[in-house]
Amino acid sequence: MLNILILGLGQCGNRILDAVNHEAFGRGGTFAKYYSRQKFPATVKTIAINTAINDLKGLEYTLAKDRLHVPHLHGVGANRTVGKHVFNENKEMILSEIDKRGTFDLIFIFTSTAGGSGSSFAPLLVEELKKTYTAPIICIAVLPFREEGSIFLQNTAFCLRELIDMKPGGVLLVDNQYLKKYAGDIKSAYDRINITTARRVLFLIEALNSEMLMVTDLGDLKTVMNGGVGVGTMGFYEASKDSNIKSTILGSFKPSGLLFPANVYTDGARAMLIIKGDKKYLDLDLITKTVEELSRDVGQVFKGVLVKKERPKVLSLFTLNSVPELDKLYAAAADAIRFEMDKRDKSKKQLNTAFSHIDDLEPIY
Amino acid sequence: MNNGRILAVVALFVLMTPTVVASGNDSYYIFDNELQINEGITIETSIHIEVVEVKRFPLGCAKFRITSYQKPERMMTVFTEDGPQANRYETYSGASIYLDVIGVYSDSVEFRIAGPSNWRVTDYYDVEPDEEGEATVAVTVPKLEITRTLGTTSAEQGQTIEVTLTIKNTGNGTAKSITLDEPKIRGTFQDEYSSTIDDILAGETRRVKYDLKIVDAEPGTYELVPAILNYKSDTGTSYSSESQSSVLTIEQEEVLLPLLEVSIESARLSGSADATITCGDRFPVTITITNVGNATTERVNVKTDLPGDVRVVDGESEPVYDAIKPGEDEEYEITMIATDEGKHTIEVRVMWADSEATAYLDFWAEKSGLEKYYPYVLAAVPILLLLLWSIKKHRDYSY
Repeated sequence: MLNILILGLGQCGNRILDAVNHEAFGRGGTFAKYYSRQKFPATVKTIAINTAINDLKGLEYTLAKDRLHVPHLHGVGANRTVGKHVFNENKEMILSEIDKRGTFDLIFIFTSTAGGSGSSFAPLLVEELKKTYTAPIICIAVLPFREEGSIFLQNTAFCLRELIDMKPGGVLLVDNQYLKKYAGDIKSAYDRINITTARRVLFLIEALNSEMLMVTDLGDLKTVMNGGVGVGTMGFYEASKDSNIKSTILGSFKPSGLLFPANVYTDGARAMLIIKGDKKYLDLDLITKTVEELSRDVGQVFKGVLVKKERPKVLSLFTLNSVPELDKLYAAAADAIRFEMDKRDKSKKQLNTAFSHIDDLEPIY
Repeated sequence: MNNGRILAVVALFVLMTPTVVASGNDSYYIFDNELQINEGITIETSIHIEVVEVKRFPLGCAKFRITSYQKPERMMTVFTEDGPQANRYETYSGASIYLDVIGVYSDSVEFRIAGPSNWRVTDYYDVEPDEEGEATVAVTVPKLEITRTLGTTSAEQGQTIEVTLTIKNTGNGTAKSITLDEPKIRGTFQDEYSSTIDDILAGETRRVKYDLKIVDAEPGTYELVPAILNYKSDTGTSYSSESQSSVLTIEQEEVLLPLLEVSIESARLSGSADATITCGDRFPVTITITNVGNATTERVNVKTDLPGDVRVVDGESEPVYDAIKPGEDEEYEITMIATDEGKHTIEVRVMWADSEATAYLDFWAEKSGLEKYYPYVLAAVPILLLLLWSIKKHRDYSY
């Protein structure tokens, strides 16, 4: 059985981690944690790490002992410089807490690229974990709504660059901006994004830890994540009543099933398909044929088939050779930084002009 | 001189005239005067009474020789203490006279003779010494007195009583051909008993003994009627005498047997007006085994039978005793508990040899007042546990 560590950094990472813990209770409702036990498909240890204690208190399904507060007032205020400083001051404590969970075969890090704690901790934590653990580290990086503000954009830009520079096992992108269209309000969008992400991660863990009819494993995952620029995303599709396995597989590459906008057929580098469902739906010849067709466009495609008595579901995980959406994001980030700089210069000049009115004067009492 | 003659005539007249005495039986004193030894009187010309001997010590008495028509000579000793009716002499015709000694002197005796009112003293005479010697030799009469003595007057079955018959010949002749007739008690056996007894000389005392064995006589009080002695004198005259009667009590034979009584008590139940306890409460029970018999028991086993919903929580409920002596008791205490309500009976059986004794203790058990809350308590327990579990889980998830 695989030993898996899931770290949730910052508010966003904490909430996705909490969603994972919630989903692990199965179909139980809000009170499942009071009477039920988590049923992870592997040996899973979770730690929610944050500088904002209120964010930690807001978690519902993560055990208190799995919540690690890195003390610094009430958060780092989206300031990555401060966040990095806080991490360096507390990294021994953080690594010690991780070390208590034992050894791992796979490490997931959930983090937002925009916030303070998560975006500043993630690259540094990857660097530190790589020194200690040989397990592949998969970062689930959540991109912000574009309208959330210039600081979040610039944080995303720098965080993502630093994260990729640290060369983790792979970076899977989740784009809030992209997924927002599937939910009405921001709150619902966040919740749905968190749950969707959590379910796909658990799907992946279950597949990696199960006996498969057609096998794909952790080694294949590492190979997929090493493809392209090391950045990818996940797609998902659940078969409807009349769909066959081919349409189900292809459905997982559709924009509606992706967590990040990408054209798998043009930009995909390597892919992994995990197909789960009742044996009567699993036409292996058709699966093989479909995968072969995909391979012509995407390149290497690993497939795993997991037999479960349920309607077929497909999780696709792929890396990209090119990420056009990131170009747009970085351009927007650069504009935002420049705009912020211009705005700050203007404000400073305006302030200096105001101060100049009293340059030759002294207070009289 | 004339006066002297007149007094002598009067005195003779007085002597010749019978004295009329009013007595209890309307007899008359035929004679009331003093005679010396070897002097005699004749009454109605046929009854001769002579004074043979007088004694003043130790008791005053006089021996008279009495002869009459068609009757053998009889020697009669009359004591001053005998009284007027004690010494009777019956004549051939059936009439009786009574001798009563008034006073005894050195060689004379004053006495009275009562008899029919028409009888008179017809003669006074002196007895020749030769006549006296012939009379003494001729009259020898044995007189046996018999006394029965029992070794014990109370005996049990199987016991032997020594019976002693003391026979004393107080006469002056030898008693011969003596036969003893000793009565029997049914269920007894007279061991070494002989109905014939050798001759007993005058003045001799003979003791005859035999063992009276009580074989299977019914318990009770028996009267041994007088033993009868039949004997003869030298002259072949038959006599008989009898002993006093005796009383013998035969008691029930004591059987040595142990007998156990068992009692069972509970101070807890005694303190309750209706012998009721509360289900689940412990209550002590004391069992006492007493040997009320007269022998030590052999091994004693105790068997305690309890209802299914009563059990012993403390103490040995079935002890074993090697022996219990007469008058002693063994006591032990056990603590019990009744789980179900209702009437319960505890039975304790004490077994020894082929016997047994049983004691019972009845009591009622009722549920406590809290019983009605038990369903709620039982229902609350899982809720409480669930609540505690939830609190724990909540704490697990509280940060």
